[in-house]
Amino acid sequence: MQFAQLSDQVVIDEAPAGPIDVSAFPGTWVNSNPGTTGVARLQMTEANGILSLQVFAIGQDALTDWGQENVLVFMASPTSRVGAGFTCVFDFGFAETRLQGMIMKGLLVLAQFHTFKDDSRRAGYFMREYFALDHQRF
Amino acid sequence: MIDTLAFKQLSDLNSALTPSGDPQLSGEKLLGRWVNTNRQTQGIAECIITQDGEHVNLRILGVGTGAPVEWPSVRARILANLEEEAGQRTVALAADFEFDFMKIETHLRVNRGVLVIVIFNTFTDGSGRSNYLNREFFYRMD
Repeated sequence: MQFAQLSDQVVIDEAPAGPIDVSAFPGTWVNSNPGTTGVARLQMTEANGILSLQVFAIGQDALTDWGQENVLVFMASPTSRVGAGFTCVFDFGFAETRLQGMIMKGLLVLAQFHTFKDDSRRAGYFMREYFALDHQRF
Repeated sequence: MIDTLAFKQLSDLNSALTPSGDPQLSGEKLLGRWVNTNRQTQGIAECIITQDGEHVNLRILGVGTGAPVEWPSVRARILANLEEEAGQRTVALAADFEFDFMKIETHLRVNRGVLVIVIFNTFTDGSGRSNYLNREFFYRMD
């Protein structure tokens, strides 16, 4: 088994792997920072094992709906089947945004990589924001 | 000029991103040799960040069996970092590594003198391994 780091080298059961548990993700995730100029909230949904993400960002007068994209789910280890994070890409034509999400202690940490493709000469930028699941339990 | 720019969130219009805003995309604060704070790690042992003209290159040594695993050296994307925790403003780096059996998406940033690397590992070899993520911390060695 090839590896780039020792943690890649694991024993995999020959039995078919079960489905990936993505139950930690679905719902509405709200930015912990009410003063954000970035992403306001995330809507994550699961259908037939496919997890998708809709982003609502802060606009000038109202929220901007980025639309919906499927995400690639990541586990905490090569032997785990429990989703712990995701990546996805939104292409806006004039810009591209890559997202990397990680769930840590109930908090979704979202790293954002924004690259401009237009002629505005704006620098690409990075943001990291925190989101709480609106669980309506308390 | 800002009013005419396309955007999908308000931070796209941050004046610090425009040439007149002097975004200072220098990776200087990240340059050097960084060693994992966790001597028991099974992930990345160390990371060497070097400047090559306007570019920043990234070398990573993974923990191996006996000897470290040298990942292919890559050029990192330098991004302005708009987060201002504790008044910090520096750059973040993003880099992708391609192996014939897996690909690795990373991002790196310095927080209070500690280099934080977040790693998203995707296996492409059909080995049955789950894609996984990891986060590790590094201190500057020189």
